Amino acid sequence: MNLAFTPPTRTTPIPMKSNRFALAPAAWLLGAALMTCAPSALPAPAFSLAWSEYPSWSAFGVAHVFKLIDGREGQTGPVEDKWGVDIVLKEAEYDPCLTMYGSGQCDAVCMTTLDALNPALGRPSVVIVPTSTSAGADALIVPKTITNIKQLRGRKVYGLAKSVSEYCFNRNLELLGERPEDYKYSNMDPGAAAVALQQKQREIEAIIVWNPFVLETLNKRKDVHVLFDSTTIPNEIIDSVVMAQASLDKPGGRQFACAVVDAFYQINQRLAEPATRDDTLIALGEKFSHLDLASMKKVVEQTRFYATPKAALDLFTGAELKAVTGRVVDFCVKQEIVSSAPKIGYGSQAEAGAVALRFDPAFIRAVAEKK
Amino acid sequence: MNPEGDASPAAGDIALESRGVGHGFGAKAVLFDVNLKLRRGQFLSLVGPSGCGKSTFLRAIVGTHPPRAGELRLFSAESGDEGKVIDAPGRDRGIVYQQYSLFPFLTARENVAIGPMLDQTSLAFRCLRRLRWRQLRREQWRAAGDMLEKVKLADAMNLYPHEMSGGMRQRVALAQAMIMKPEIILLDEPFGALDEATREDLQYMLLSLYEENQKAVRQGNRPPYTLIIVTHELNEAIYVGDRLVGLSQFWDWRKEGHAAAPGATVVYDKPTPVFDTKTARNFERFTAQREEIRRVVFEPAPPCDRHQHVVYWREQTAR
Amino acid sequence: MIRRPIKSSTAAFLGVLSVLLLLGGYTFLAHRQYQRNPDDTTIPRWSQLHKGLQSAIEVNRRSEDRWLVVDAVASGQRLFLGLAGGVAASLLLGLAMGCFTPIEAFLHPPLSLLAKVPPTAALAVFFVLVGTGNNMYVAMIAFGVLPTMTLTVNLAVKEFPDELLYKAYTLGASHMEVVWTIIFRQVLPRFIDAFRLSIGPAMVYLIAAEMVVGDVGFGYRIRLQSKLLNMSVVYPYLAILAAFGFGMDSLLRLLQRKLCPWYEPRR
Repeated sequence: MNLAFTPPTRTTPIPMKSNRFALAPAAWLLGAALMTCAPSALPAPAFSLAWSEYPSWSAFGVAHVFKLIDGREGQTGPVEDKWGVDIVLKEAEYDPCLTMYGSGQCDAVCMTTLDALNPALGRPSVVIVPTSTSAGADALIVPKTITNIKQLRGRKVYGLAKSVSEYCFNRNLELLGERPEDYKYSNMDPGAAAVALQQKQREIEAIIVWNPFVLETLNKRKDVHVLFDSTTIPNEIIDSVVMAQASLDKPGGRQFACAVVDAFYQINQRLAEPATRDDTLIALGEKFSHLDLASMKKVVEQTRFYATPKAALDLFTGAELKAVTGRVVDFCVKQEIVSSAPKIGYGSQAEAGAVALRFDPAFIRAVAEKK
Repeated sequence: MNPEGDASPAAGDIALESRGVGHGFGAKAVLFDVNLKLRRGQFLSLVGPSGCGKSTFLRAIVGTHPPRAGELRLFSAESGDEGKVIDAPGRDRGIVYQQYSLFPFLTARENVAIGPMLDQTSLAFRCLRRLRWRQLRREQWRAAGDMLEKVKLADAMNLYPHEMSGGMRQRVALAQAMIMKPEIILLDEPFGALDEATREDLQYMLLSLYEENQKAVRQGNRPPYTLIIVTHELNEAIYVGDRLVGLSQFWDWRKEGHAAAPGATVVYDKPTPVFDTKTARNFERFTAQREEIRRVVFEPAPPCDRHQHVVYWREQTAR
Repeated sequence: MIRRPIKSSTAAFLGVLSVLLLLGGYTFLAHRQYQRNPDDTTIPRWSQLHKGLQSAIEVNRRSEDRWLVVDAVASGQRLFLGLAGGVAASLLLGLAMGCFTPIEAFLHPPLSLLAKVPPTAALAVFFVLVGTGNNMYVAMIAFGVLPTMTLTVNLAVKEFPDELLYKAYTLGASHMEVVWTIIFRQVLPRFIDAFRLSIGPAMVYLIAAEMVVGDVGFGYRIRLQSKLLNMSVVYPYLAILAAFGFGMDSLLRLLQRKLCPWYEPRR
């Protein structure tokens, strides 16, 4: 259980090296000499992080652009050097990111905690940092003629099935005292749904999508409005970085988690400082649907970043998280997103025990202390 | 050799007439002033150097490529004395090509029966009056079977073309043309792709058709087959036909005042000996005529006078 | 020696062996994955696949229908309508183009351009033009297979020898008879071949479109279940797709043999 705290040893790579160099004794001597004299010449352990375009996740792409980290394998930036690891960035669409993580093709992934439940059943996982929460970034968009949710009864509402969109829709219905059974939630890719509504296609009258599609649709069609959005359920849709427990347990795994968290806060710092704010926002926009500065300002409003270690620690250690996560788990079981309710834990592995998904503040703390 | 006299087709009965036919493709002149009168029941061999327009002339008769100058007239019982000017393909002319004469999706019997089917019924009839059509088809199939027996293919009724030998295919193609009882049958290099033995068999078959003609004439009937055969084989041309026409572009057109070559024309038109199926093939008998044809029709130089050897009708009237 | 013939029994043995190796390799991979992580769902074992297939066949508790049934009905309907439309239209167009030169001159340039546009890439265009209902799938499949098939039929008609055409006229055929009784019968096997070859692309277009806008159908189910890492459902679905494609192909080949016994496909 305490494997995670075993200091990474350098003994493992040596037999490998000696095997290879056994063929050339001179080289072996040289190699051995180099290794004993300069341990820093060892390649830093590499871990991969899969990310998709989203305001708080594009931060990692931006960190690469700003040369805080180097997303290529074998190359490192200052943040990676600070923690002695090699972060390998893999960019993909959101769905492939989930599949990639679930099948063990990457060590860590950017996803919502809701989507983390299912892969966590097969691959015990740790939420190492919350990056943002949806505060209006998920919205139900309807023509202005529809002003009351009851008007949508029996009509189709289009959005991605078994996703945060459906969660947001159902939660808002609950809050309004409606029964989800009275509504027809129908699957459609958010991008396609947004285009369909913008094209005023018959039948497509109500869509629930996320940014950038919300902003795009509102910009392109003036006779539609937001009927409700995720501002009613703050801190429920949590965007985060999730890492496999097995990867954490590898040598350098915890350092990798710290480096990822560190890179995220360094970008947030640039966003906080007036001198670098706009520049960073523009860079984020370039990694997020090529939105311009004005739109990006709106986007970061609707996608509230957990910009400081304090904000993140408040969330992780607060009582609200447990209640919200319980609700999310219930939703996922009811919607058959998960085959059974995953066990959720909070705190260190020692505190939480063997669970499927664990919210661990240790890495946020480690980064805050190492400043 | 039979003396032509009594058994040859009636001199006055003309099946096809070519009056000053000229043809060409774009600026390229192919045929010039082709004049020809074909008697009913006659087997005419058409020879000439390659590129002289034999196939073009045949296509003009088929009607797919009507001539640019002059006209072709076809005479039948219905057309009267003036005949009918050929301007489109029709069921009164049959054709057999070297290949692609048969429809690959039909059996031998169906290939022969398709002519009567297309001729006697329409798409609508076949769709709407199925019972009557089925009855009619049985009759047509029987007729097709008889025709195949005539060309000695009784055993191959249900074979598809790809299952038959080249010789069998050409027999079916002949049957396919003959069942229509056309005014004239055109054979375009019909045996060009066959081996020597098969070729002889088929030549022999043509001779037997000619004998039917002779028999019909002797009995005072209309001869059933009129035929033009295009071939590059001089022996075959002389052996199978009773008249040989040579088309050639190597004639003395400068003498007639042309600045450029006006195209091939008839430079040779003479009767050839008639053979029968009972006597052995003996080509030595016409060596002299073959040499004459070779010189007049095929040799580029010296250019011949185009009227000197066109003597068929002169000889006929002199007789 | 290259192309040395082998005994048919050897050939059959090798074929069976390769399939067995494939299945064995999969069993091994699944077992190893199970050893590493008993909770894994990405490389399901046979028992898991069986359960996955069951969950697709049984009446689903929440949606109260059988997934496989509703998906097969939806996807099948879209595929057949789309293929039927595309195939019928391309037969008519191909025949018309092959028989009438002005029609060919008019249609050939746009069709050869359209044949190069993958309909999956033009998905958004289909949304905009025909909406997102069933019409979209049908239109996408129909227009997806139409250009290539039309050109194939056109080519087959053009290869019809002039001699046979003249021949038909000398036998007294009318223009309509030449087209339907002669040319159509001649190009029929080539047309069936083109049909067979278009089933694959048609399935690609259908699945791609269903993945994006479907709320029922094979593409929808595969995307959703992949996201949820339920490979025990996804693999049976893929197997069913493969079996369907194979079945359609065999059926058409049989049809070709029955309708065109004279046809010898060039190998």
